[in-house]
Amino acid sequence: MTGRLKITAQVLALAGVAGLLALLVWKLAHQEHAPGVGAAAPAFTLHRLDGPGRVTLASLRGRPVVLNFWASWCEPCKSEAAVLERDWTRYHARGVVFLGIDYHDLRPDARSFVRHHALTFPMLEDGSGQVTGTYGISQVPETYVLNRQGKVVAHLAGPITDPSFAGEFRSALAEAARLKGGTPSAPQAAAP
Amino acid sequence: MILRFLAVAAAALAFAAPASACAHPRTSLTYLEGQIMCPTCHTTLDQSNSPAAQAIERFISQKIAACWTAQRIESALVSNYGAQILAAPPRKGFDLLAWWLPIAGVLAGAVVLAVGVWRWSRRREPEPEAATEQELDEETERRLDDLLARFD
Repeated sequence: MTGRLKITAQVLALAGVAGLLALLVWKLAHQEHAPGVGAAAPAFTLHRLDGPGRVTLASLRGRPVVLNFWASWCEPCKSEAAVLERDWTRYHARGVVFLGIDYHDLRPDARSFVRHHALTFPMLEDGSGQVTGTYGISQVPETYVLNRQGKVVAHLAGPITDPSFAGEFRSALAEAARLKGGTPSAPQAAAP
Repeated sequence: MILRFLAVAAAALAFAAPASACAHPRTSLTYLEGQIMCPTCHTTLDQSNSPAAQAIERFISQKIAACWTAQRIESALVSNYGAQILAAPPRKGFDLLAWWLPIAGVLAGAVVLAVGVWRWSRRREPEPEAATEQELDEETERRLDDLLARFD
């Protein structure tokens, strides 16, 4: 009886240790990293901040996409906003879609930011930061430029107004807008 | 005289109104700062000075001024940021596990400890009757009787 009890306790202890190890391995395997240049951009569906409805990244396949992660409490995002709006106006006609993704922010503050900076490109909300996490965002602003196949062309971990990023952003944007890798799909980003 | 009285009463009401406007006791920023997480730094608000935390603190202050209860403020923050904005998980559904597992763990540990102590104490306890029966064979008993007889 004593021996059986001892073996049961040992088996339980081993099972506990194995469970903890499995949790550790799962956590390490599921750690989120920023997708590198050439990698497929993580799929997402997010609610619109500026109106009803949701936007799915997959629905934009066939069009170059600029994903700008921002927040109303982020100081560099304020100086970047005007530049993004200007570039959106310039490249919109060439089929480029700009999506602003508001990160860990309060909706009223975010909407007020959009109004204050007169931003007209589609805005999505990621209050929980779940989607933002899959892009490995640790600070805002960060910007991704995706090509028509949904692959990352450039990742700028800082404001695009920064001299070290401005040139890279422009060239990535120009390249993504120029290269045609298929038939562009219908512009569903702005649709509710 | 009546006019003066009315003016004083109106002034008193005007100053008293903000404090007594709530139908329930106001919650406090200090309390909620310990209940809400900063989403970017993963600490409670009272331990953070990040811009995201400051924005949430401003929101909480506005809502306290508007007589919102702590529960209502927490619900609004959960609908905006998700349940992970709360420092403690909700006491319902799957999240209940987070509350019960530590208690179950402590109870299981206590049971294991109690069983271990009980078994250990039993192993060390002398068993006088059994020992006496085993040790005293007939020869020893006879010699003991002889010795005792000498003292009589």
